[in-house]
Amino acid sequence: MARTELMTVRDSADIKIIDVMTDLSSYAALDLRKILDGLIANKVDKVVVNFSEVNHINSTAVGTLVGIAKRLRQNGGDLKLCHLGPPLTRTFNLIGASSVVEIYESEKSALAAF
Amino acid sequence: MPSNVCYIESVRVFIGKLSETLGFTKKRTADIQLALDEICSNAVNHGSKSTESVVIIIVTVDKQFLEVMVRDTGDRNTTNWFTPERLAEIQAQRTPEGEGGHGLYLIECLTDGHKIQANNSGGTDVTVHFNR
Repeated sequence: MARTELMTVRDSADIKIIDVMTDLSSYAALDLRKILDGLIANKVDKVVVNFSEVNHINSTAVGTLVGIAKRLRQNGGDLKLCHLGPPLTRTFNLIGASSVVEIYESEKSALAAF
Repeated sequence: MPSNVCYIESVRVFIGKLSETLGFTKKRTADIQLALDEICSNAVNHGSKSTESVVIIIVTVDKQFLEVMVRDTGDRNTTNWFTPERLAEIQAQRTPEGEGGHGLYLIECLTDGHKIQANNSGGTDVTVHFNR
């Protein structure tokens, strides 16, 4: 799979959903940041990131998501995350980011939370 | 490893396979992978002059433990980032709302011991220890 296909963006009404299909070390975190920066530049303010295919995330990627959530909230929107497996939940909990970014079990519940 | 973030994933996969082979649990293997990811990210982002620099990784397997040492060559712009004072400052400033500064905290949480010290190349050696 080409790197550009490892993260895709789709729509659900006025909400953008990013499907991440790669583990998130620092390199992939740069790609995720580029996509999210691009969405914000295009006036998108509601974003869901689906992590169902992700087994690893590092603190750089978590920090990126925290920063993006803060920017989206300043614009009146928000960032919501869904389908975090145990390794990702552990990383978010250790850092404390699970109290900063909203996390949902399913994509449906994340979308409904807007 | 060349000092470029694109190589960190390969290191993470390698240490994961090795940890599984050594009999670490799935959860502990994930901890080891995350710790090494954080150390290598710090070495590349804070401990290297450029992508031409090299990060050396030494893995020691013992009956009692797995130990990994990551050596960078230093970045003249962030000299002494590893000093006890600087490390204490990073830790004190860390908050869940912050976008950075979590790596060292995670290393503390995920390992059975760690050591950070200056090396002769002007860089930093970070050694982490995992009991078997």
